[in-house]
Amino acid sequence: MLALNDLHKMYRMGETEVRALRGVSLDVPPAQFTVIMGHSGSGKSTLMHLAGSLDVPTSGQVEYGGRDLTALSSRARADFRFSEVGFVFQKYNLVGNLSSAENVALPLLLRAVPLKSAHAKARDALAMVGLENRATHRPSKLSGGEQQRVAIARALVNDPAMILADEPTGNLDTATGERILDLLRGLVVRDKIVLVVTHNPEIAQTADLLVRLRDGRIASETPREVA
Amino acid sequence: MMRMNLLRLALKNIASRRTRSWLTILGVLVGVTAVVALLSIGTGVQEAVLQQFEDIGYDIILIAPMGAGGPGMGAQAGLGRAAGRFGGAMSAQPGASSESTGGTFSPENLMGGSDRNETSSTSPEDMAARMMERMASSSLDADLLLTQVPQLVEAGTLGTQIHAVDAGTKSGFLRVSTPSRDFIESFPSVLGGFEMAAGSGFTNTTENQVIVGGRSAELLELSVGDSITISDVPFTVVGILESRDTATSEEEADTEGGTLSGEGLAQNLGTTGSTDLVLSGLTNTDDSLFVLYERASEVLASRTMLSVTITRVEQGASISETVDAINVAIGQQEATGTPISIQEVADEIQGTLGLIETVLASIAAVALVVGGVGLMNTMYTAVLERTREIGILKSVGARDGQVMTLFLIDSGLMGLIGGILGLILGSVLSLFGTRLLGPSLGVGSFAPVIDAWLIGSVLALSFVLGALSGAWPAWRASRLNPVDALAAE
Repeated sequence: MLALNDLHKMYRMGETEVRALRGVSLDVPPAQFTVIMGHSGSGKSTLMHLAGSLDVPTSGQVEYGGRDLTALSSRARADFRFSEVGFVFQKYNLVGNLSSAENVALPLLLRAVPLKSAHAKARDALAMVGLENRATHRPSKLSGGEQQRVAIARALVNDPAMILADEPTGNLDTATGERILDLLRGLVVRDKIVLVVTHNPEIAQTADLLVRLRDGRIASETPREVA
Repeated sequence: MMRMNLLRLALKNIASRRTRSWLTILGVLVGVTAVVALLSIGTGVQEAVLQQFEDIGYDIILIAPMGAGGPGMGAQAGLGRAAGRFGGAMSAQPGASSESTGGTFSPENLMGGSDRNETSSTSPEDMAARMMERMASSSLDADLLLTQVPQLVEAGTLGTQIHAVDAGTKSGFLRVSTPSRDFIESFPSVLGGFEMAAGSGFTNTTENQVIVGGRSAELLELSVGDSITISDVPFTVVGILESRDTATSEEEADTEGGTLSGEGLAQNLGTTGSTDLVLSGLTNTDDSLFVLYERASEVLASRTMLSVTITRVEQGASISETVDAINVAIGQQEATGTPISIQEVADEIQGTLGLIETVLASIAAVALVVGGVGLMNTMYTAVLERTREIGILKSVGARDGQVMTLFLIDSGLMGLIGGILGLILGSVLSLFGTRLLGPSLGVGSFAPVIDAWLIGSVLALSFVLGALSGAWPAWRASRLNPVDALAAE
């Protein structure tokens, strides 16, 4: 269980102070497809960054496995991201000069995993997303959908406990987006926390837990059976 | 293992930004090339010059006649400072009689100054002879010196005379050195090894035998067995010395037809002082003829001569104390002369050459710093360009330290590659450089010194330079907030 307690996040954007989150409390259960919806500027991306320890809140706690992640050092948060979190971004965020396999193996290479076993794991992860025949291709040689599948493979390569996806279908056509969502939904079976941030209502329809954000606050929290 | 993985990532990155990487490496390469070329040539010159002293022997102290040193010391590069010191030492010489020597006279004074009130029709031969006379005004007794200075194990006197030499087709005034048999045995190094290229060398002291220096033999067209006359006394050539391949002074090189004029010789002696004789004249046996002292004293008319006393210091004895003791002994003998220790001359020259090398290396270091600044610029730009990539790395779990290491390896590698290429290019340049410089520096041919120390320190330096240049950009990269970094375009 990932527990967010009274999260506040403020940051400065030039002269103005932006209050991205204004007291968000939420329990994200495992083995559920959790979707956070909201218009742009509602604070949904910020929420995802805090949930994945990519950033720290101005106040509030992020608890996972009995630990308060916000109290961790920068190094410990990096280690947490490596072992427990897999991010998927709207812009795929692949490293341009590395092949698909190398991009997928990247997290492992940062953690002293020998090159051979890292690449073996990368190939397995690519197979999971159906891209084993694209292992040596650079991102620029792949379609948007393929790039996002590589990104998902990278998120999965270390078998993390949570997958956090920020608008994973935002840059894709409907059919491709549907395939990506199927992939993500498939992970729920694997007992993972799967959190998808989107403003796409179609994704929201398939959520086990739908959380609507408005102006940095939770507007509604709807379990599937109710929806 | 993790470092290896980071190294691989850094290499990939360098390869993927090929043009910029190579331009950056080029900047380092130029700096390293300059450092390597200048240092290896500098060390090469130093070693080549010092080798000349080593050949003579560091345990040798020469006692030059008064008036040694003075102007005209530029004949050998880098000796100016040493000569100046000797000039100064000479004027402060205890027991020096200003009447007998005219103080610190210079050969130039001899040539013109002191003779100014005499007739100007003085022939060059007369001038040379008179100079010899002045220089040998009161010579030292070597055997007596040996008993006076206990630190000395050997002492001998090498006389040099100027004679009219007639070799049939060619003739001229030449330098005739008159070492004793003992001297040749004791101080072969002072005579440049005294190795025969042809002939047997001296066999006895009863016949008129002469050994001819390599270049003189060539000029006079002599071979072993030929008969020549030295001041009208017949001699037989019994040996021709191995050519020493030392630098030829211009006067000598320009001499045509094998006739060495007295004027040329006088000018030669006049413009090079005897310290130079010590440094190259003695070991340069190419332009001399050799007659055993035992024979010369009997058959050759007692010509005025320049005599240099050569001594060998006991092993372990202090050179400077021995020099002091010799000075006292010279005073007691009421002779004149200046002890010159090979060790001290070598130290002086080494100091001067070291200074020159330091200056050259500093100039080269500037080039290296410029390369480093270029590298820093590239790395800083790279951090800006790769901000998003840094965000990606952090999102998949890279620690701050790893991001920093990645950038440090990146810049360090570019430095190292520049270093390796610069080392190669610098070595090639220095090989050409030494060929060009050798003759003009008067040390003949010499090789640049590219030793393990130079290679190791250049490579280490270029890697450290690269890493240091990249340190600040790398630190900035490591401190980036991952969310902000990911938001970068």
